[in-house]
Amino acid sequence: MTAAQIIFLITAAVILGSAFMVVTTKNLVHAALWLIVTLFGAAVLFATLNAGFIAVVQVVIYIGAIAILFIFAVMLTRRSMTDTGPGLNRGWWLSAAIALLTFGGLVWLVSGWGGFTKAAPAYPSGFDAVAALAHALVSPEAFVLPFEVASVLLLAALVGAVYIAFQRKGEE
Amino acid sequence: MPQPQDYQTLLPVIVLAVWACALLLLDSFLIQRKGLTACLAAAGLAITLGLTLSQIGRSSSGFSGMVVLDGFSTFINALQLVSGLLGVALAYAYVKRMGIERGEYYTLLLFSVVGMMLMAQATDLIVVFIALEMLSIPLYVLAAFNRTQAASEEAGLKYFLLGAFSTGFLVYGITLVYGATASTNLSAIFAAASSTSNLLLTIGAALILVGFGFKVAVVPFHMWTPDVYQGAPTAVTGFMSSGAKIAGFAALLRVFATAFPAIAADMTDILWALAAVTMILGNLVAISQTDIKRMLAYSSIAHAGYILMAFVPYGNPAVAPVSIAAGLFYLAAYVITNFGAWGVVIALEQPDGKGLQISDYSGLFWRKRGLAVAMTVFMLSLIGFPPTIGMVGKFYLFRAIIDGGFTGLAIIGVIASLVSAFYYLRVVVNMFMREGEQKIEREFWLDLTWGAAAFLTVAISLAPGWLFYLASAAGLR
Amino acid sequence: MQSDWTFIGLFLIVGALIPAAAIVVSALLSPRKPNPIKDSTYECGIETVGENWVQFKAQYYIFALVFLVFDVETVFLFPWALSLNQLGLFAVVEGIIFIGILVAGLVYAWRKGMLEWV
Repeated sequence: MTAAQIIFLITAAVILGSAFMVVTTKNLVHAALWLIVTLFGAAVLFATLNAGFIAVVQVVIYIGAIAILFIFAVMLTRRSMTDTGPGLNRGWWLSAAIALLTFGGLVWLVSGWGGFTKAAPAYPSGFDAVAALAHALVSPEAFVLPFEVASVLLLAALVGAVYIAFQRKGEE
Repeated sequence: MPQPQDYQTLLPVIVLAVWACALLLLDSFLIQRKGLTACLAAAGLAITLGLTLSQIGRSSSGFSGMVVLDGFSTFINALQLVSGLLGVALAYAYVKRMGIERGEYYTLLLFSVVGMMLMAQATDLIVVFIALEMLSIPLYVLAAFNRTQAASEEAGLKYFLLGAFSTGFLVYGITLVYGATASTNLSAIFAAASSTSNLLLTIGAALILVGFGFKVAVVPFHMWTPDVYQGAPTAVTGFMSSGAKIAGFAALLRVFATAFPAIAADMTDILWALAAVTMILGNLVAISQTDIKRMLAYSSIAHAGYILMAFVPYGNPAVAPVSIAAGLFYLAAYVITNFGAWGVVIALEQPDGKGLQISDYSGLFWRKRGLAVAMTVFMLSLIGFPPTIGMVGKFYLFRAIIDGGFTGLAIIGVIASLVSAFYYLRVVVNMFMREGEQKIEREFWLDLTWGAAAFLTVAISLAPGWLFYLASAAGLR
Repeated sequence: MQSDWTFIGLFLIVGALIPAAAIVVSALLSPRKPNPIKDSTYECGIETVGENWVQFKAQYYIFALVFLVFDVETVFLFPWALSLNQLGLFAVVEGIIFIGILVAGLVYAWRKGMLEWV
């Protein structure tokens, strides 16, 4: 086993374990904290795949902002912090079975694909992945349109989120 | 550098996006009466509609193959803008009555229409994805717009959670397609697909289908529809049931017809099954509904099935143009009828949430004849009964499907339509044959909406040729 | 490239080990003589009132939401800044439009009074 494989196995184990804790723990704050571990594991996976920028984005946005938002949301809703109802409903085994079947089916299907066992080619030396990504994102020959639309999308999301979350004077 | 042609390709979308941003600021700084915001939003939509219509017959592609302008996109965008205008007309007085009159309503609606239009023009999966988000996020918020009502909040949350879930499928599908073909551009995918093993591509396409299936409410991805349509403010439901469907079907058709003809053999079977199940289940479950909004929600699921039927032979170049034209015609017919029906629902809805049961329609004919006649027209059109546009649409559709060699599917469609007559006619029977009292809201724009929709539903059925000609000219080649 | 991540990984491991070691060592070395006053929560000398988990104000959430949007914007602006030199004026205009649209959102939030602490 190479070092990369060992790192991958450890990371994968951490991701799976913490993801399992997210959905099974009854304490919502703990679930949010476990989620941070999961997200961090995903960042490590990105890093091992040479996707440095995505790894940093994962940490900055998912851990730095979204997980924090989760924790705020949990702390806003005080009642649910002490909720001790059952974490699983009666149909849990059914959804577990469907999830396992879907996963198994996908693995079975994808393993029949020729590229499944191929190793990804390494970068040419001196190749700056972040610069290439940056150029693709804003160059007029590439993804400049989605780039600009993304800002309109963010604006719409901001307006919507603020409308939903903002408690106006005299309400409730 | 982008050339003028790039901007021309996308001109209506750009104009509407700028208008929406400007309206957001204007509304928060200057406008006190929110009715003015509604008028400005409608003006923006009307100007964009004018620009779109001025582009008839043109075709170009822009931003290095990210977007395209062709007959298909022009047809869809015009339909989209009309449904945006009707959405504003339905909302104008409704939001006042419900006490949710806020400028954000119209800005969000405009942003949603921007997303829908971009979706019809997108020729790159990244743009498809971003446009889908652009149309969905405002719709999530609009569904929850009546924040003080638990039902509306629940509708927004449900729609958001399941919508996000379905977007996950779509993105996963895009990733697999990218993995298989090393491109997100639809024509590049087509070129790469014909030369490689297509297993990964097929899985990716199926996942993309799931993502769109959620948006257009196809069985088995329809679970959110009744609750969301019922809980959301009715004006939003009217807009959402048309707009999201048009955009979803437009993108589905564009993506599949441009990028995935190579795997049409697999996909046709899947689409066949989805269409059949959707028509059967949507119509059967609608029978047991007592709430008019839920009934129309299941009716909209069933109609998604009819429209999907037109896409089944998408990979067969001999049949596809006619069947797709029939599908587009049916889509237009559905939009007109659907808006009319929701307009009538709004006319009877009371601020306290009463007036939404089918039994509340009892004796409507004896109180207000015009409204009852209009509702009858819409119900007949949804069944596919002459002399309505729904009948013409179904005729074109079934003929195209039978010509394509899918007689079994057409038979299922006809039987499903017969079943649907049961619950649509129940509304009509209630209006004419039962006794009842109801309070009816009279508002100019609302009356105009259902009045015009009823007129068009009948008038176009008498001379449907031109619309079918437009739909055929719009077909993807 | 790979070696850079090795350093970051080492840094993370060492960074996690040092506080862990401090806790373990103090747990091993410290004498333990508990009494009720020692076990109570220490809050700058004042006796604590109520539970330790209190309900936050909704205002925090709004700020976090606005922060999230601008956090995403930052992520988009980073690659933009990287390719600024290659693309010249076009990229500048592009960035101005991008930021301008989001500033509209900030102005909207400000106008609606969401940035005020109530």
